Amino acid sequence: MSRESYQRLLDDLRADVVGMGDLVVERLDAALTALETNDEALAREVIDGDDEINELYLSLESDCIDLFALQQPVASDLRFVAASFKIITDLERVGDLATNLGAYALATDRRLAPEVDVDTIGREATDMIERSLDAYEREDVAACREIAADDDDLDALCQQASETVARDLIEREGDGDDLWSVEQLLDDVSRLLLTVRDLERVGDHAVNVAARTLYMVETDSELLY
Amino acid sequence: MSDSINTETSTDAQASTGTQASTDGESPGIQTTAGESEERVREEWTQYQFDGAAKLSVEDLNVWYGDDHALKDVSMEIPENSVTALIGPSGCGKSTYLRCLNRMNDRIKAARVDGSVELEGTEIYDSNANLVELRKRIGMVFQSPNPFPKSIRENISYGPRKHGDINKGLLARLFGRDDTEAEAELVERSLKQAALWDEVSDRLDDNALGLSGGQQQRLCIARCLAVDPEVILMDEPASALDPIATSKIEDLVEELSKEYTVVIVTHNMQQAARISDQTAVFLTGGELVEYDDTDKIFENPESQRVEDYITGKFG
Repeated sequence: MSRESYQRLLDDLRADVVGMGDLVVERLDAALTALETNDEALAREVIDGDDEINELYLSLESDCIDLFALQQPVASDLRFVAASFKIITDLERVGDLATNLGAYALATDRRLAPEVDVDTIGREATDMIERSLDAYEREDVAACREIAADDDDLDALCQQASETVARDLIEREGDGDDLWSVEQLLDDVSRLLLTVRDLERVGDHAVNVAARTLYMVETDSELLY
Repeated sequence: MSDSINTETSTDAQASTGTQASTDGESPGIQTTAGESEERVREEWTQYQFDGAAKLSVEDLNVWYGDDHALKDVSMEIPENSVTALIGPSGCGKSTYLRCLNRMNDRIKAARVDGSVELEGTEIYDSNANLVELRKRIGMVFQSPNPFPKSIRENISYGPRKHGDINKGLLARLFGRDDTEAEAELVERSLKQAALWDEVSDRLDDNALGLSGGQQQRLCIARCLAVDPEVILMDEPASALDPIATSKIEDLVEELSKEYTVVIVTHNMQQAARISDQTAVFLTGGELVEYDDTDKIFENPESQRVEDYITGKFG
């Protein structure tokens, strides 16, 4: 094969993007566990680990810029580097969202709307990110389209959860026995709504990864918006 | 019509006044471009810091062809076991500079060279310097493949025989020093290093001129490697080749830089970006304007003129 070192750089980039994705998934997973089990130490681990993800992101971004500037990729190579360049941004954002979740886990125990199953929504979102990374690695366009379709289900779950929170809040009115202060309640409500929204965003980023992968493989921009 | 000419003239006048003013403030040096005095260019943008040892150290190198000052005060250190690319527009002095590194300019009568070039601390322009030995240590590959009109095998063994590394002749045989085996080994090793062995191993006695252009160029590289050089100078080694042959040469250059110091002149900036570790940019007038890591030159050059050149807006 010709241009061997260039091919090696491309292979390395793919492996490194997947490696960054694996790390992000690991953090997301830990954040969800911390939320579920009120594990403060684990939550802090996730928050402190964000620097590592950010540094990885910057280093991969610089690798992509080097490839553009020094190797002038064209055709499928160009789409691959361009897609990777975009995908790492999505992965970095997911890392930020995991950090948010870690911060929510550090806050007081949730007493509001116990029927909202954050963990299930979170596992669904994590699964989507994992599958999108796998689709990127294996250039699996069918999986990309499935992920996009699954996002509608995740959105519906999140919508339902938000409504549950709102309903719980309305029904709570006039509940004089509650010892909560208004501030505590407000904190709890916004935290829960943000948790749901952040998980919904994780799904959106998974769709972005899938969309860029689809573009990369088939030059098909149907999922890009 | 005359209006537009007038406008142009006045703009030029303003531009030159402006640059003149900026130069005056900084140094009395030679005018370069807006905001770039010679002093600044030389002091800051050509001071390349690198880890490891310098193979070649060039100090205040000047070359004149008759009255034409082709290379002006170029100083640069070239790190060993790496690829250094020299880029710049036609007539910028990059090939002149390259030829100074193994005293090829000695062959041009009108050329006058002033300054110092040291190979691992030894001045190559010393009057006692052995030119044959020098060009053995610093080999060269030219733009157009120029194999000898002999067999592939003889192209490789010619140099070592000249240098006395191989004895193969009637006299040598009479004295029992026939190095046919050594020659075969050398031919194979050199051709393998030049990534040509697989293509020619079954026809080593064929005439080299029957090879394709890309193969001929790799043969010339093999020929250069056969005398075991330390530095390989390449002057546009791939400009006459198609993209496939070019990429083979590029792969080869990268491979060679593990053991040799490669200095390559290329008009193809993308090629310089792809294969070099550091890049020196020469601009019109024979000045070295910027010299740095290749990614720095191609992603964030200091000089506006270098930026204009590599983005294709000038030169």
